[in-house]
Amino acid sequence: MLSFVQPNIDYHALAPELVLVGALLLILLVDLVFEDRARWATSSLAGLGLLAALIPIITLAVNGHDRSMFGGAYVVDNFALVMKAVFLLAGYVVVLMSTDYIGEGDYYEGEYYFMLLSSLFGMLIMASARDLISIFIALETLSIPAYLLAGWRKRDLKGNEASLKYYLLGVFASAVMLYGMSLIFGVTGSTVLTDIRDGLGSGESVPIITVGILFVVIGFAFKVSAVPFHTWAPDTYEGAPTPITAFLSVASKAAGFVALLELVFIAFEGHEEVWKPLFWILAAITMTVGNLIALRQTNVVRMLAYSSVAQAGYMLAPFAIAGDLSGGNVGAIKAVVTYLIIYAAMNLGAFAVVIAVARKTRSAELSSFGGLFEYAPGLAVLLAAFVFALAGIPPLGGWYAKLAILNVLIDASTPWATVLAVVVAVNSVIALFYYASVAREMLMRPVADGDRTPVTIPASLAASIGLCAVSTIAIGVAPNLIARFSDLAHFVS
Amino acid sequence: MSEFLRAYLTVAVFAAFAGLLIAGVLGLSRLIRPNRPTPQKLLTYESGVDPVGSGFSQSQVRYYIFALLFVMFDVEAVFIFPWAMRLELYQVFGLVEMAVFIVILVFGLVYAWRKGVLRWV
Amino acid sequence: MDVGASWYLVLAAMIFAIGALGLMVRRNPLVMFMCIELMLNAVNLTFVTFSRELNDIGGQVIVFFVLVVAAAEVTVGLGIIVAILRRRPGITADDVSALKG
Repeated sequence: MLSFVQPNIDYHALAPELVLVGALLLILLVDLVFEDRARWATSSLAGLGLLAALIPIITLAVNGHDRSMFGGAYVVDNFALVMKAVFLLAGYVVVLMSTDYIGEGDYYEGEYYFMLLSSLFGMLIMASARDLISIFIALETLSIPAYLLAGWRKRDLKGNEASLKYYLLGVFASAVMLYGMSLIFGVTGSTVLTDIRDGLGSGESVPIITVGILFVVIGFAFKVSAVPFHTWAPDTYEGAPTPITAFLSVASKAAGFVALLELVFIAFEGHEEVWKPLFWILAAITMTVGNLIALRQTNVVRMLAYSSVAQAGYMLAPFAIAGDLSGGNVGAIKAVVTYLIIYAAMNLGAFAVVIAVARKTRSAELSSFGGLFEYAPGLAVLLAAFVFALAGIPPLGGWYAKLAILNVLIDASTPWATVLAVVVAVNSVIALFYYASVAREMLMRPVADGDRTPVTIPASLAASIGLCAVSTIAIGVAPNLIARFSDLAHFVS
Repeated sequence: MSEFLRAYLTVAVFAAFAGLLIAGVLGLSRLIRPNRPTPQKLLTYESGVDPVGSGFSQSQVRYYIFALLFVMFDVEAVFIFPWAMRLELYQVFGLVEMAVFIVILVFGLVYAWRKGVLRWV
Repeated sequence: MDVGASWYLVLAAMIFAIGALGLMVRRNPLVMFMCIELMLNAVNLTFVTFSRELNDIGGQVIVFFVLVVAAAEVTVGLGIIVAILRRRPGITADDVSALKG
């Protein structure tokens, strides 16, 4: 007779996820019961739900000790908590951006926030997943609502196209990743990451292990839009509603990096000869190609899309020097987490300002930003601040992120790492050109259509811009804030 | 009689009983119902559509939502079967877990119902 | 003739390759969906084969999850396709090209 041992469920550790599920079911219910009368309330509910889910994260962080469930498949440690907080805050900012954007269109508000929270729920699971099945389920839970969100304007052909491209490449990537997982499961006989590490061992790879690791990494390279798997990103970013573009380029990308960190630094740790060269190439061509194509863009959303491809390249760089650091891989993980947090603040901010300006100009073309400084100096200064932060100019947050990446690359002190550091530095200079072109357009060009009426910004959108601006500047001025958080993020035991 | 055949005897008894039941119900209704055939009634039933034209024809797009709903709920049942096989083992814990799972599925069904997807148009 | 695990693995690899190839060369969105299903089923076959070889039920559990997720993916994908076909009947993946650059 089979015996069944009831799994020990730690409700405190699961509380953020449970709160989020409660909130999203409540939104669905409110939307169904009250229909049009309460549709305006769904965005407030979504925002409150996200903030409520932060409370258990704080209590867990105060409590301090790591919690592990389901035989090590679900772990709540400091890394998971930091990433969950980033996801929830990014989600909150996206809700703030969406409130008026979605409320004013003839969109399905209730469903919109339901989908957004579902996707965030998948990301929370991803931060804790330490098992192939959990990672796969988390990836799909965050991706499937995202496919729909990308095509939210369903009567708009561009929206349809954004959704279809994202969908086809997304499911193709997850099939490739799954095939890799199946091979790794076959070699090691386990789905838990730490067991896989022990099962794979170290030393010479047999072809099946190489193929398995390669397929899994390529699957996630799609998710983080690394060149040459980035082709969906610009089209999807342009066709999707702008708040969703911000969401995809920040939260969805961060989730892909979280999965890569977990898989590469826990499960595949012993086989760096397979993935190190791969990441080196991915990082170098991702930042170079992303930046070079961004130079040619005339649409700001598309430019930010290619810029986010390039930023993914910087974040991939620390993967390429794993094992070369004297202090182990913790340094590389810290650099990626630091970059992710800072990137989230500045990229969300840039998109929020673009949304605010587009409320008046109804366009995201670069020329429509002409003379913005004359009639909306506040917005123009903020957008300039965000793009210069993305370029890495002190004292705005971005410089510390770049510094963290360059630091680990130089610390590694191998020829290859040094070459990559040079590639990062050269790319930062290239990127400055197109980031500066946005500022030049706003300052020096004439107002596109001569319309100088000031831009009206709804309160929630202003709050989202403010949140991003404060965090971008605070991190830049006092980088110790972020250093403290990313210090928590060493999860490799 | 061997144990093997005895096991099959049970199956045979069940089969006979099932056959008798169907024959009995259909026979009874044939005896008591009026019989007025019209060409409409004699048509092959095909999801409410007249079976005319070639076998390859376009169907109404409005069916696709039913199909999608069916696919989703059908596939979710895959989680319920293994659970049902070992229900006594999981006891109250398993019951509560499955209740949570089904309640979340019901949310989906309620959504479809409120949006009028289940109404025949 | 002895049919060992490697036969199943090779079959799965071939199905996976056919699916991947089909996704790249075919332009009918529905056929592309079928190719994705083919790839996912190749994955399932691999998992089940390994599960039997290793005598580990875990592989079969994954197949359940893959099946459900595949159904959800197809549901969403068909929804997107129908939304596009309503706007532009008879469209192929190559025609969907309003966004470029």
